[in-house]
Formats: sequence, structure tokens, C-alpha cells
Amino acid sequence: MNRKVVIDPVTRVEGHGRVTIHLDEYGKVHDSFFHIVEFRGFERFIQGHPYWEAPVLVQRLCGICPVSHHLAAAKAIDQLVGIDPEDLSPAAFKLRKLMHYAQIFQSHALHFFYLASPDLLFGADAPVDKRNVFAVAVADKELARKGILMRKFGQEIIQVIAGKKIHGVAAVPGGVHHPFTIKDRDYFLNGDLIPMRFMKGYHEKNRAWLDTFAAFPSGHLGMVDDQGNLELYHGKLRAIDNEGKITLPDVSTNDYLKYFTEGVERWSYMKFPYLKEIGREHGWNRVGPIARLNICNAIPTPLAEKERQEYIAFSGQKVNNSTLYSHWARLIEILHCAEVIKMLLHDEDILNDDLVREGVKRLEGIGIIEAPRGTLTHHYQVDEKGMITRCNLIVSTTHNNEAMNQAVRWVANNVISQKGTITDGMLNQVEVAIRAYDPCLSCATQALGQMPLKLEIYNHLDELIGEHVKGE
Amino acid sequence: MLKGNKRTLLIGIGNYGRSDDGLGWEFVDVFASHDDLFDVEYRYQLQIEDAELITQYDEVIFVDASQKPLSEGFSWYKCKPAMTAAFTTHKLEPEMVLWLADDLYGRQPTAHVMAIEGNTWELNHGLSDNARDNLVNAIAYFMALINKLEPQEV
Repeated sequence: MNRKVVIDPVTRVEGHGRVTIHLDEYGKVHDSFFHIVEFRGFERFIQGHPYWEAPVLVQRLCGICPVSHHLAAAKAIDQLVGIDPEDLSPAAFKLRKLMHYAQIFQSHALHFFYLASPDLLFGADAPVDKRNVFAVAVADKELARKGILMRKFGQEIIQVIAGKKIHGVAAVPGGVHHPFTIKDRDYFLNGDLIPMRFMKGYHEKNRAWLDTFAAFPSGHLGMVDDQGNLELYHGKLRAIDNEGKITLPDVSTNDYLKYFTEGVERWSYMKFPYLKEIGREHGWNRVGPIARLNICNAIPTPLAEKERQEYIAFSGQKVNNSTLYSHWARLIEILHCAEVIKMLLHDEDILNDDLVREGVKRLEGIGIIEAPRGTLTHHYQVDEKGMITRCNLIVSTTHNNEAMNQAVRWVANNVISQKGTITDGMLNQVEVAIRAYDPCLSCATQALGQMPLKLEIYNHLDELIGEHVKGE
Repeated sequence: MLKGNKRTLLIGIGNYGRSDDGLGWEFVDVFASHDDLFDVEYRYQLQIEDAELITQYDEVIFVDASQKPLSEGFSWYKCKPAMTAAFTTHKLEPEMVLWLADDLYGRQPTAHVMAIEGNTWELNHGLSDNARDNLVNAIAYFMALINKLEPQEV
């Protein structure tokens, strides 16, 4: 008898999604889907609002990465007032960058310590009561305390610049609204917080699993600076294929529409972006830490670059297509953020009160940044009165949509297919694969409310024969 | 015991943009200007890092809206540590934050919960009339507690 497996809710991710796995009459997987079942509405209801409201309104997309949306929108709105990134005052540019790197620092810390570490410490087959941060707190207090300290550090920098840890306001059209103080700066200048040793030790012990689990070829997309090095706030877009061949050669973020389009599927509200020239089937790209480390020539800070070299040497591959390496890549980015934050805190420009610039108004603005989860695009058009007439958001998780579906398919084929009894541990591996991408489903569909995730099993007659609902 | 001094932290939990879910923040607003008595924090949800924050205080008061009916329109009770992980760890109960504080930092401040009954939770600013009444009663009760334990000099 054919069966269909459905995971709903998928846990320890941001947002509401659902996984269905369809089995044939021999228990072999013949299809699988990662559905995003929330309705997408932000692009539409922001229309008609004045452009200067956008950086504040779009923060409500998310409680985890509001800073990313705030700054991507701010970059787009800068263009509407005639200011390109290079026109910002040094103080405004560096304060925004400081806030952005603090956001990535705290968001990566949240994902690694609170969401992913239970899988790494206890394994994907661990009992349900072990799969949470409380069990981590019992098993490895030092790791848990570091996680808390790192998240607090990032959030407090955001609070100083934006007034609040969540949904604060820092950027205004053409700049920022207040500088750092010497007292603020001195408070943050401390600390070696990054648990790289834990991650490297973990990889040594679990290499076979990490190398092979949900490994599949894909393109990789991210931002680089003029030297081709890792850049998270403003640079050029670069994409490579699964072997490292350039598929998008360091193009201006203003030109993204020339190269990208989005596909749709009837079974998900989340779209599927891809490179037009390559097409829907092969033109999709992973984004986020693993992609960024794959596409860059180097990381422009010494400690993180040293770690990147070790990471590349360890995997032995120029382009890493193994899903679980994203955890290691994420920690390297945390280290890079810490280095950049330290440099910016020592930069006298952040204390300067030259904060806002003005230019000649335009009718279109595009802001692209590397958010914690990957490349984030905000694009606005306005009328002569400055009211928004069109908004296009391509959120990081949307780029990873195809990758997450491929990851689910890998687990379905390699872990669940033809195994007879389907265990809780098997189902958790589906979630482990999705979770590695740190998806923000509320961002990707711009939804409101509580958003858990669910798994269902269907037979060949499309009858529901098994259900896995988290939290019940 | 409620001391009402700077070693006491008031944490309002909720969201002004969701009607009566703003009860926790409205309560804390009343005492925010009394910074000689309390430190205050506003949260959409309690998070794991709040475990570290509360270790810096002798007493913590969590104030949140309640969807459940409460006989007096509000409820004041002592909060005890408990490890009860829900399916999401983005949203923690006060009991879980206390447990983490004790487990990770070996500190367990005295803690109470002030739950205030609300009725409407839609996207909207402002409390319903019932919730406003409950808030006033909860504040009066809390003020009486403070005054009983720390008599104000005239």
C-alpha cells in the first residue's frame, strides 16, 4: 500500500511549514514536498504608504531579523532620496554596518545554540525530551552560557543604536538618527566568545555523517566586496555552480532584476527564485553561511579567514555542498562579525554626528544585504508624492526554498524509503535537514501569528495514513 | 517578599499592537517612571537570555495578559522554577526562565507573576474596556503590596 508522510509542525525553525512524503505500495519514496502554508501579504499592503515608513513597517515581518529588513529597506529608501551607499556619511555607513553585523552575530548565535545544538549534542535520534535547549543547559552549561552571552552582546549593540533590541529604529532616509557614545563603545569592547573548538571537535567525531547528510549539488549565491571577499552589508552579487564556476559575475545589486526571476508551485506560498539565464531546473541557489563561504575569495578579517582555511581543508572541497557544514560556516561568520564589530567600535567615525545626507529624489530604490540567512532584496517604486506603488521582497529563505526541498528529498530517499517502520528519529532527520538552513518562514511568506510545522504520510491512493504533529 | 527597590525587575510581556496583549506593557508603563524603585523591561516573549538578566536582581515580577478567565480579573502568584520545554523554545514561560537561571548561573531570584485577564487579541492598538478595568485593579493591588511592605514617608 502506498503511504504519505507529513511532518507538521517542523520545529526549531522560524515560521509555519509542513512536509509531506509520498510512498508507493512498497514503501519506497516517490515524492516529497516542503510546503509553506502561510499567505504572503506584505508586498501588497505596504503599497500606498509613504516611502519613509517602509524601514519601520517591514521590521514587523520578523521578530528575529527585523534589523535585516530595516536596513535592506533603508538602503532602498536612501536611493529614493538620491543617496547611494557610497554617498552615506562615514558615521551613518559604519553605524548601520555595526548594527547589521551585531544582528548577524546574535541571530547566528540564536540558531546555533538554541535551535541546532540539541541535534549536534544528542544526535538526530535522541528522545524528544532531549531535543531542546534545556537539555543542552544540563549537558553542557558552558556552551549554553556562551550562547546566552553572545546573543545578549549582539542584541545590546542593536539596542544602543536602534533604541530597542527588537523593532527599534536606527536608519532614516539618507543616514541614521544618532551616533554611538564613548560610554556605549567602551561597554562592548571585550571578549572571546566563539566556541570554534566545540565545532571542530564535533566535526572530527562525526565527519562521515556531516559529509554525506543531505549533500546534493546546487548553485550558491551571496555578496562580495570589490576584491571578491566576503561582504555582508554592501557589495556585488556573485553566484557559482556546484563546482565553483561563476554563474553571476559580481554584478551590481541594482541590476538584480536582469538576472533573477521567481517560479511558483501550486503546493507552496513560498516562491522559487532562480537565475533566468540558467533556468528554473538548475538556476536556483543556496544562500546563507555555506553559500557565502563557497563564493568568496577570502574573509577580510584574519581570525575568521584562518578558520575558513581550516574549514576548506577539512572538507577537502572547493565548493561545499553538504548541508550540515552550514553550522560550522555559521560559527565562522560569527567570528568574522565579532572581528568587524571590534574594528567598528574602535573607529572614531561612529562617534561623529554627521549622520544624514540628502540628494535628488528618484522614483525607484533597491536595497540588498546579506541577512543572517542569506541574500535579502527590498525593491520599492514610488509616485511623485513619495507613496509606494510597488514593492518586491525576495527574502533569504525564499532562495533556499529549492535547497530545503532537495534536503527533504535526500532524507526521504536515504533515511525513510523502504525502511518499514518510520521512527520519530527518522522524522527528526527531516527537520535536521531543514533546520540547517535556519529558515525564517514567517519572513519568506511575510505572515503574522503563531507558525508551527507538521509532517504527514500518504499512501499511493493519496490517503493520509500517518501524521506527526509537534507540540501535541 | 516584594521589596520595591532597585533590586527588583518588572518584565512586561506582550504587544501593544495586539489589543489586550498590551496589558503587560501597560502595567509596566505605570512603574517605568519610578526608576528609583524598579528596573523595567518590555518583551514580546520571554527568551532564554532573560535567564541571565534576572540573575542580576533579588526579585523579579513577570506581568502578562491572560487568555483564561481570572476570578478577580487578575492573578498574583509566586513563580517556581520548572523545566517544561514546549515545542518551541522561542517562547518561554517564567517558570522556565527561573529554572534556567538556577541551572546555568546558580541564582534564583524571588519571582512572582501578575497575570491580567484580557479579552481581545486582534491587530489593534488600545485595551478593551474590561481589560482596562482589570489593569486598574491589578495596579491597585500591586500598589497596596508595595505600600504594605515599604511604607511611603509623608
